[in-house]
Amino acid sequence: MSEPRSDVRITDRGMWLVVARRDFWVRLRDRGFVISTAITLVVLSIFILLRAYTGDDAPSFRLGIVESGVSAVADASDVEAAGERRGVDVTTVPYDDAAAAEQALRDGEIDAALVHGDDLEGRTSVPPQLAQIVQDAMVRARIQAALADAQVPASTIDEVLNQPAIQVRTVEPVDPNRDANAGIAFIGVLLAYGQLFGYGVWVATGVIEEKSSRVVEVLLSAIRPRQLLAGKIAGIGALGICQLAFIAAFAIGLAMITGAIDLPATAIGTALIVLTWFVMGFAFYAGLFAVSGSLVSRMEELQNAMVPINLLIFASFFISIGALENPDSTLSVVASILPFSSALAMPVRIVLGSATPPQIVASIAALLISIAITIPLSGRLYAGAILRTGARVKLKDAWRAAA
Amino acid sequence: MLELIDLRRRFGDVTALDGVSFSVPEGSIVGFVGPNGAGKTTAMRIVLGVLEPDQGQVLWRGQPVEAVTRRRFGYMPEERGLYPKMRVQEQLVYLARLHGLSATDAHRRARETMEVLGVDGRADDRVESLSLGNQQRVQLAAALVHEPDVLVLDEPFSGLDPVGVDVLAGVLRRQTVNHGVPVVFSSHQLELVERLCDAVVLIDGGRIVAHGSIDELRASRERRLLRIEIAGAPERWFESVPGVVLESEVAGGVVLLLDDGVDEQRVLDLARASGDVTHFTRVRPGLAELFREVVGA
Repeated sequence: MSEPRSDVRITDRGMWLVVARRDFWVRLRDRGFVISTAITLVVLSIFILLRAYTGDDAPSFRLGIVESGVSAVADASDVEAAGERRGVDVTTVPYDDAAAAEQALRDGEIDAALVHGDDLEGRTSVPPQLAQIVQDAMVRARIQAALADAQVPASTIDEVLNQPAIQVRTVEPVDPNRDANAGIAFIGVLLAYGQLFGYGVWVATGVIEEKSSRVVEVLLSAIRPRQLLAGKIAGIGALGICQLAFIAAFAIGLAMITGAIDLPATAIGTALIVLTWFVMGFAFYAGLFAVSGSLVSRMEELQNAMVPINLLIFASFFISIGALENPDSTLSVVASILPFSSALAMPVRIVLGSATPPQIVASIAALLISIAITIPLSGRLYAGAILRTGARVKLKDAWRAAA
Repeated sequence: MLELIDLRRRFGDVTALDGVSFSVPEGSIVGFVGPNGAGKTTAMRIVLGVLEPDQGQVLWRGQPVEAVTRRRFGYMPEERGLYPKMRVQEQLVYLARLHGLSATDAHRRARETMEVLGVDGRADDRVESLSLGNQQRVQLAAALVHEPDVLVLDEPFSGLDPVGVDVLAGVLRRQTVNHGVPVVFSSHQLELVERLCDAVVLIDGGRIVAHGSIDELRASRERRLLRIEIAGAPERWFESVPGVVLESEVAGGVVLLLDDGVDEQRVLDLARASGDVTHFTRVRPGLAELFREVVGA
């Protein structure tokens, strides 16, 4: 009577991988995911293109000149020459009288006007660099006139006025690329923050989706809670890493093609550092997000359950933005080592060249130890809370339930 | 054989299971019957490892059930649950994979199961877009897709139309007859349980109050009841026979309860003497009567 049954292999290993694969693909095909990735790429492209085609140009000024008729101390050619010596392009525009120059100022046609050779007028202010150039030109003209009056030979005057540029050295040199690096680090920390937060929330909503649709009871009749949790975190985390790597590769590629960055090596290095700390930071936070999701039964309750985690990540983000300015401050150093903030703060300090090797090692060690604590902890709380529907589950009860 | 041995479970002050033991032999269907809140769902969740018992154990083929053996069980929870936005076939393949099937087997079995349950036309529809009846069929497919060794179904028939009931009944029969799979299901549809099950387990207040085949249950509770209809009989014509009392009055006649010593033929004689007998039968209590009697409702 008995029909032959298909030969079925039973295995307990790799169950988390089956879960991870579903969580990865379902979200990759999600329309919201595709749209948000596209928006990120568009915004980054605009940023890069703006930088490529507007940034980096030598500063240039337009200076209105009103000749008085009486001898001016410095004339248009003196000012242009002074600008040239400082690598600044100064274009002079002659005006018949002060009123015309002032009108040009109000219209924004010129940056400043030199009236009668000694009054420098601006609209609301005069660019300091331009004021210095004009001052420079006037001083030079006066010295030249004075020396000529004193019968000093022209060759000597020339020698006095055209001193070779002084050699500048510092005992604490600053990386000449610091600003460029800070710009790249800023983009990196912004992306990592969005990724950490967005994918963490995805873990939490994924947990609630299974809990509120009750499919979790079907799943848990096949696999254990920890396998389900591990798979979910791995699948969503892998998608986060892939998206971050894709965005970074796209941005760096575009920036290199358009010439928006001079330091592709730094950008690639930054991307790798940000990715590495993102992986660790996500591993740290994902379990906590999963627990906050497992404690409640409906999406509407999730916001409240996530508040403590959100605050931690938000604070870390702000400290990390501050670290861009002040990578050596005590706050920055502490934040780059504490596990809840180091995922965002440490990459900033490494890229700015401020982190010392012991600090980097301490940061990694603190994160790894914390992960080794939070993952099993989250697994137990999740297992204790995931099948309890209705009112919000207390952490204490979740802990006991999974004993 | 699937054995539940002395399962006990409390939720706070409420005792959900108070020493529940019964077994489901391979190749048989057992109906799990009892009033709401009697402990059916708790017992089934413990069998599937979704819930831990405070005490007691579950054995399959003599061995305590572990995660890996449990993966070969099929389960339909009381609170239905599927991914609402996932497509039917994709969902079944995923669940089959979670139960340990290879990708190829999972696809083949998903298609087979959808055909058997008549949802193969909806393979690429999202579950949330299906009617409740079809969602129920997909839920059953989820319990069957991995060719389970044991089937535990919590209220599998509720929400099904008569055609769906027949389809499911056929599926359960095939599972037990052809594959020797033990099936235990809970239901409030007692005629269905009576028609389908080899044995019935009656639970009330967390305790098993009756356990056995329907015939055994009847025998243990058998009372000698006669239904008699007589045209033109006087009121209370039966009172002259000692040991006979009125059980109930029914349309056109009466149901009488006979003491052990009373001869049915004497009652018949008296009946014929009282008028034209149009109906004379033994009354066999149905499961519904047994249920009411045992549970005392």
